[in-house]
Amino acid sequence: MGRYLLRRLGFALLLVLTVSSASLLLTRLAPGDIASEQALALDPEALSRLRAELGLDRPLASQYLSWLGGLARLDFGRSLLYSRPVNTLIGERALNTAVLAVVALLVATLVGLPLGVYSGSRSRGLGRSVVRGLSVLALSVPPLIGSLALVFLAARTGWLPVGGMTSAAGVDQDWARWLVDLARHVPIPALALALPLAATLERLQSQAIEKTSREPFVAASRARGLGQAQAIIRHAWPVSLRSVLGLYGVMIGSLFSGSFVVEVVTAWPGLGRLMYDALKARDLYLVAGCAATGAFFLAAGTWLADALMAMADPRLRSRETP
Amino acid sequence: MNRQPRALLSVLLLGLIAFMAWRWWSDQQPPADSGTEIVFSDVNTRGGVMTSSLRSEPTSFNRWVDRSFPTSFISHLTQSTLVRLNRATQEVEPAMAESWTTSADGRTFTLTLRDAAWSDGTPFTSADVLFTFKAIYDPNANSILAGSLKVDGQPLAVTAPDARTVVVGFPGSFGPGIALLDNLMLAPRHKLEAALAAGTFAKAWNASTPVGELVSLGPFLLTRYEPGQRLVFDRNPRYWKKDASGVALPYLDQIVAEVVPDQNAELVRLQSGQIDMLQQQVRPEDIATLRPLVDQGKLQLLELGVGTDPDVFFFNLRPQQWAKDPRGSWINRREFRQAISHAVDREAFANTVFLGAGVPIWGPVTPGNQKWFSPNVRRYGFSLDKAKELLTGLGLANRDADEWLEDEQGTEARFTLLTYRGNSSLERSAAVLRDDLRPLGIAVDVVALEQGALVQRMLKGDFEAIFFVLTASALDPAMSPDFWLSSGTAHIWNIGQASPATEWEAQIDTLMHQMMSSIDQPERKRLFDQVQDIFAEHLPALYFVAPRMYIGVSSRLGSLSPSILRPQLLWAADTITVRSPAPAGQGGR
Repeated sequence: MGRYLLRRLGFALLLVLTVSSASLLLTRLAPGDIASEQALALDPEALSRLRAELGLDRPLASQYLSWLGGLARLDFGRSLLYSRPVNTLIGERALNTAVLAVVALLVATLVGLPLGVYSGSRSRGLGRSVVRGLSVLALSVPPLIGSLALVFLAARTGWLPVGGMTSAAGVDQDWARWLVDLARHVPIPALALALPLAATLERLQSQAIEKTSREPFVAASRARGLGQAQAIIRHAWPVSLRSVLGLYGVMIGSLFSGSFVVEVVTAWPGLGRLMYDALKARDLYLVAGCAATGAFFLAAGTWLADALMAMADPRLRSRETP
Repeated sequence: MNRQPRALLSVLLLGLIAFMAWRWWSDQQPPADSGTEIVFSDVNTRGGVMTSSLRSEPTSFNRWVDRSFPTSFISHLTQSTLVRLNRATQEVEPAMAESWTTSADGRTFTLTLRDAAWSDGTPFTSADVLFTFKAIYDPNANSILAGSLKVDGQPLAVTAPDARTVVVGFPGSFGPGIALLDNLMLAPRHKLEAALAAGTFAKAWNASTPVGELVSLGPFLLTRYEPGQRLVFDRNPRYWKKDASGVALPYLDQIVAEVVPDQNAELVRLQSGQIDMLQQQVRPEDIATLRPLVDQGKLQLLELGVGTDPDVFFFNLRPQQWAKDPRGSWINRREFRQAISHAVDREAFANTVFLGAGVPIWGPVTPGNQKWFSPNVRRYGFSLDKAKELLTGLGLANRDADEWLEDEQGTEARFTLLTYRGNSSLERSAAVLRDDLRPLGIAVDVVALEQGALVQRMLKGDFEAIFFVLTASALDPAMSPDFWLSSGTAHIWNIGQASPATEWEAQIDTLMHQMMSSIDQPERKRLFDQVQDIFAEHLPALYFVAPRMYIGVSSRLGSLSPSILRPQLLWAADTITVRSPAPAGQGGR
């Protein structure tokens, strides 16, 4: 088990290094840089001074090596756009994204899995068709349209704030009121993230249950006198979870690294928006830092999914035991 | 087998019916605030909170080194200049200098400063003015304001005989005169002197600086910055200005700027009353969406006038670009560019790109620039026949079976047009131009690039043609020499020439130098009209339509002074009033 964990940790570190290095190098090699925007306003000498000050005049190899040196000390460098340490910026935004990710993951799980079990355990019926229809609809709506539709719904009804994480009065209130204020702002972006994920989970869970229900051990449990619902919940569902949990790693990684579209449309101050701003401004250190964080969450999510899978499927546990 | 599709269809139909019922129901609902009786007091009511949007967050609070819009937005609310250009009247008026005198030769200005203080109580004196000039001209500070505060590349000479007097000497005669000082955002010496001495001025007042360390000379004071979310500005209790009745300005208690990166979401927030003001003009396609709310009295759609920074189309006119390319023999000819100008139906262009909210133009100076616009420049009316005649004169004719023209060597009349990806009006303009030139037999390959990549190719001269937008820093052309002079960094068709590449550019250089150094306003206008005539004759850059600009604001706002120049409303933030409760959830008090 220890070797397995070490192997996964090594893989995670390699993933973080590869993704962040690739992001930095690609951002650096693409035409234009963060000083380009000022190029028409500054005289050539001032522009050269600005490039030198930002370190953009250094050769690519030297720039990359000094960045790698910082990375070894877990220092992602200084944002060219904000003149602040990348670590600080990511720390601020990662917490905001985590709030959103946890809520979205909970909603997607609590909605997607039960509906998947329900639709997968029925061979026909209106309920199954309705669930399938809604899933297809949620999967086919692009995130931009989904987010805008929810923002529009909030604006038309006035039930919830249209965007942001807290209201302007939020930070001056006591923590209980602040929490209520936050809770009012979470549903729109969380739903925008959760609905397509819930639909994905529903589809996967449904297919997995359908397949597992046909396994001999489920028929055997029915033969021992268990009802259909009990046989599915107690025997088919844990085994069917294996294919669903495989997706969890990717889901956690993508949720915790932030969604460009949802965070931009709903004005949620998270990692996705930070990455979007960094890419727009060609802030290479911030791009690399955000990419590394995303890769880290992806690796951590995959590891968590593996662990959950081992817990859910007794066959995997016995295979891991020497 | 047939039941599932039927069930799916039923679900979709039910959904559609439910949506239509909800739309009908919500349309029937009275406005959210109709239960509250709002007594609209007259204008000039003191107090209240106004919420504005901001499309991106500040990367710095240091206006002297950062030119981004959010930083400029903050400086308009919290900082001040010695004199300011009234954005509504386009005239210079006193600001931190309460009065001034001008020497007979128009080169020396003696300014008397106001008896005022920074928001922390430190007196504002001539030492602050001297410090600001020193910081801006310091090469280590790399200030973006340095270029705009020089005359003929020379810095201004500034002295301070006493704490309330500043003498500013220009190295030469300069037409805009004291209006140049509208660019000078005053810096607090007591806060930034140490940073300048340590060579860290460019990093001072960055976005991580605690807001408590910032001081203000403007109507508001930044009191809270929640990264990614909002900026909160409270009234500066030491602001110097009072209204005609002696009431201390600003009228508003607080301005909240909510960061809303997406333009669609920004519009929805305005429609739902969660913000009072957009920071950018309304897109033409959104005007129809806002009209019903304007009719219901919930919003005001203010027409600012004709935009002063129109989109521009230009060819690369650097001689080396076409040295080995046979197309240079006709692209470099003004008749080719005149033919293109004739081939574009500007009315149709305005209808397609700006949905009718635009006016045809024939040069870089639009009717929005009231003082400098010349209505008499040469116009190229829409005429495909004239365009074809000009092209035939250049030896371009259809010599094979396809639809495109060729020159005498058989080279096809085709060029690549770069434009800025993500700017819908530029992308539409490029497509319209491509479609307009097709009947002439000129092929245009449109390529949309990310802004940084486009600017880099423009600076390197690695392009054939570009459709772009240039933002001028001021209305007076003497303040934009980089565009007009052949040596300029914004002389986009052939940047930074050591000596004028053409005779007509040499003529423009001469006229512009005369115009910039003259202090006789009618003479300056006459000279600049000549520049515009030469420009219209040679068309180094083509202009088709200038958009009419609109801005959307809540009807709770009053005493607005809209301007075509940015920031269109907040340049006079100290006189804005609100007439009803703040939007739901807003207000930091």
